[in-house]
Amino acid sequence: MIQSFQNFKAKEVYAMISKAVCERVLAKAVSTGADYAELFAENTLNHTINMISDKVDTIGDTVVAGAAVRVYKGLRSVMASTVDTSEAGLLRCAQQAAEALGQGTAGIDIVLKDSKFEDIHPIRIVPANVKNKDKIAILKDAYFAAKGYSDAIVQVEGTFLDVDHNILIASTDGVYAQDRQIRTRLSVSAVAEVNGETQTGGCRPGRRMGMEMFEFIDPKATGLKAAKQAVTMAGAGYCPAGVMPVAIDNGFGGVIFHEACGHSLEASSVAYGQSQFCGKLGEKIANEKVTAIDDGTIPGAWGSINIDDEGTPSQKRILIEKGVLKTYMIDKFNGRRMGMASTASSRRQSYAYTPTSRMTNTYIAAGTDKNEDIIASIEYGLYAADMGGGSVNPVTGEFNFAVNEGYIIRKGKICEPVRGASLVGKGSQIIQDIDMVGTDMDMGQCMCGSSSGSIPTNVGQPLIRVSSITVGGR
Amino acid sequence: MDYNTFKEAVIAAAKAAGLAEYELYYEGSEDTSVGVFQHEINQFSSSVSGGVCFRCVVNGKMGYASTEDMDPAKAAALVERAMNNAAVLEAEEAVFLCAGGKTYEKLDITPYALPTTEEMISTALSAQEKLYAADPKVVDGCESEVLRQTFRVAICNSKGLDLNYENALSGLVSAAVVSDGKEMTNDYQIELGKLDTIDVDAVVKKAAEKAVGKLGGDVAPTAVCPVVFAPEAMKSLLAAFSSVFSSEAAQKGLSRLGDKEGQVIASPAVTLVDDPFHPQSPVPINFDGEGCPTHTKKVIENGKLNTLLYNLKTAAVAGKETTGNGSKSGYASAVGIRPFTFYLAPGSLTEEELLKKAGKGVYINSLGGLHAGANAVSGDFSLQSAGFLIEGGKKTIPVKSFTVAGNFYDLLKKITDVASELEVKATGMTAFASPAVLVSELSIAGK
Repeated sequence: MIQSFQNFKAKEVYAMISKAVCERVLAKAVSTGADYAELFAENTLNHTINMISDKVDTIGDTVVAGAAVRVYKGLRSVMASTVDTSEAGLLRCAQQAAEALGQGTAGIDIVLKDSKFEDIHPIRIVPANVKNKDKIAILKDAYFAAKGYSDAIVQVEGTFLDVDHNILIASTDGVYAQDRQIRTRLSVSAVAEVNGETQTGGCRPGRRMGMEMFEFIDPKATGLKAAKQAVTMAGAGYCPAGVMPVAIDNGFGGVIFHEACGHSLEASSVAYGQSQFCGKLGEKIANEKVTAIDDGTIPGAWGSINIDDEGTPSQKRILIEKGVLKTYMIDKFNGRRMGMASTASSRRQSYAYTPTSRMTNTYIAAGTDKNEDIIASIEYGLYAADMGGGSVNPVTGEFNFAVNEGYIIRKGKICEPVRGASLVGKGSQIIQDIDMVGTDMDMGQCMCGSSSGSIPTNVGQPLIRVSSITVGGR
Repeated sequence: MDYNTFKEAVIAAAKAAGLAEYELYYEGSEDTSVGVFQHEINQFSSSVSGGVCFRCVVNGKMGYASTEDMDPAKAAALVERAMNNAAVLEAEEAVFLCAGGKTYEKLDITPYALPTTEEMISTALSAQEKLYAADPKVVDGCESEVLRQTFRVAICNSKGLDLNYENALSGLVSAAVVSDGKEMTNDYQIELGKLDTIDVDAVVKKAAEKAVGKLGGDVAPTAVCPVVFAPEAMKSLLAAFSSVFSSEAAQKGLSRLGDKEGQVIASPAVTLVDDPFHPQSPVPINFDGEGCPTHTKKVIENGKLNTLLYNLKTAAVAGKETTGNGSKSGYASAVGIRPFTFYLAPGSLTEEELLKKAGKGVYINSLGGLHAGANAVSGDFSLQSAGFLIEGGKKTIPVKSFTVAGNFYDLLKKITDVASELEVKATGMTAFASPAVLVSELSIAGK
């Protein structure tokens, strides 16, 4: 059954809190002199189906429901959260926030208006309305494609995940907004054993979509990709250690920008002097080949949103243009300290987390170098076909990430696979060293963890060359 | 919105649905934190959170459903969701609920009055001033945070089990940012337990010292050499690979230790203990995530693998008794397996003697990217590191931006010595700890 977003927005979404109740809660929240107050309420259904050892093993089925009141006064912020979303519960929560802020009297009037924003991610098939057996059929297609790929595959784990995240935001600057953020993901992890050596491979496509995602994501291809990677790596020798040029492929390869640079451009670091890129707006911080974008408006993309968690309509931001730093990613609260407006970057895992500035879909834009030229330019180095996760310390910019599928490049040719590689370096240096950028931009999906919890984000880039980076191996 | 009212409604709904075996698990907490930036309180947060997980056995399968919405009117829907989920499961292992009437170790938890908000604010502000004063290199960007938590777990089931647990703790986080004018870096120190007994000066000094120690420094040279892991580094490595001791991982082929019980898997220097009642843990607990009694065990004793960690289901598969390591990573999660306070038992050498024995190598006190660069299935790791060079048996120049690579299963065999000083710091139900260890040989990738 195909339904329009607007239809079920009105009927099926749980009874959100009325404007009148929000106004009373916000009035209580500002009663001790706050200059801004916000109510965030949530009702989310998280559903996961896991398969292992060829069987459907567990099903997770969780309702997350609660609310948080946040108040600001100048550069101070207070947040209180509760699982009690009755009017009395919300008023108690607001009272608690107001009391924690201190002594004072109310100084602002509250008039809420329905926020107008476009639904850029209409959902056609709501996963919550689809039976377990239909989701299991998709999961099994992916699972058994991986299992059947080779006799070397000794174990497979598969997960079908869907999230139905309903949020309401009301704030004293007049915002009254609701959004329904649905996302769907299929994940396959395969274990291969070759000559007593075990290695893993994975593939985890996801979209900010419903079941219509499978009109163009082939479950079998997902399983095969995971299995192929595991078998390739199980047969590989260890990656040699050293400093060398590295070509990093598109898709999840974009994790390099996310870690090396993205986190350091979030206001949560910049506003507190805890970033390698503080005070660098307008300066050339990257190689002129690098244009980097954070875009929450890409229809159906894993990291996309209609509004951020402060109710600001989603935006596309050019972070770096031809090497020059153009903007940071900013939320309302940290924007105060920086004297800058929100860029619709406020995000939180749930009501229980204090929101802060985060990424959405972040990528290095397509350049002009041909893929074959990039590989051919490397005399000896590493080709990272697929990356694993990574992390960064935004203060120093020191980052690391794992190479899930790597190959040695010799005399401009991709040669044998190597396993166990990681890349480490310093963000401010690496973005200077990205000296070739290919033409085929693609994105990969991840869950990004930071102070406001775990949120869906896309990373992306075309094939790039980093002229020199430390490769950890042995 | 009250747990006890909801519990009665769920039990009534389960009985009405004709269920014979079911369990309701509750986990909730009240958390407060106060943060200082520059010289003022800039953040205050308080949360009341909690949720329940209902699980039931239908045709031999265990179905789960969870919620934070404890409206008694929705109790029947929760039961129905769990039953629907059970209906499509295929796993063939037998499932169990813990029977009531078992004997539990007596816990020695003295009632503890948590600090008031005013006390938290005053400690946070003074910690921040002490942090600025700790070293002239400390700069704006540093933060101090004081937190308190009351944590509750309750499990009841159709087999007569009815358990409750409550604990409270408070603590201090000191996050130092330092600069020498050329370079900026940071580090932090956490101390949990009872705020009024925490030595604020020591915590702050440690945070500043750790951060200042990272200034300057060079990239380590690429080499294969002896490595000394400082307690913090070894602890994070142990945490990243703790799942290899899970019987569930072993039974599913995700650990290489499945057939190794009773065999030597590590050097004689290695004894690995799991202790739910460690005296330095602020969260001792006498029942696990399934309600089974917990107890202390040596997982590895002088190199020999005595036992993996089991829950009711995996123990039945192996024909053994549970080790009381059933665990839930939050109210909604399926029962898995985790240790409690999991630590390498101290040896006899001091850290100085360990360094002397290493002679020439690398001392690593910080490891990064463990969620990505450590693969528990293969045991391979390649991790961002920082520390010092060891030359002439002593720590010399600071080094960073290099990686250490190896394989955890091999590393267990290459630990030649474990130092004598052990400090346990729990930040949750599961805590990892280790003295410094000397590993005879690992790969360092740097310049």
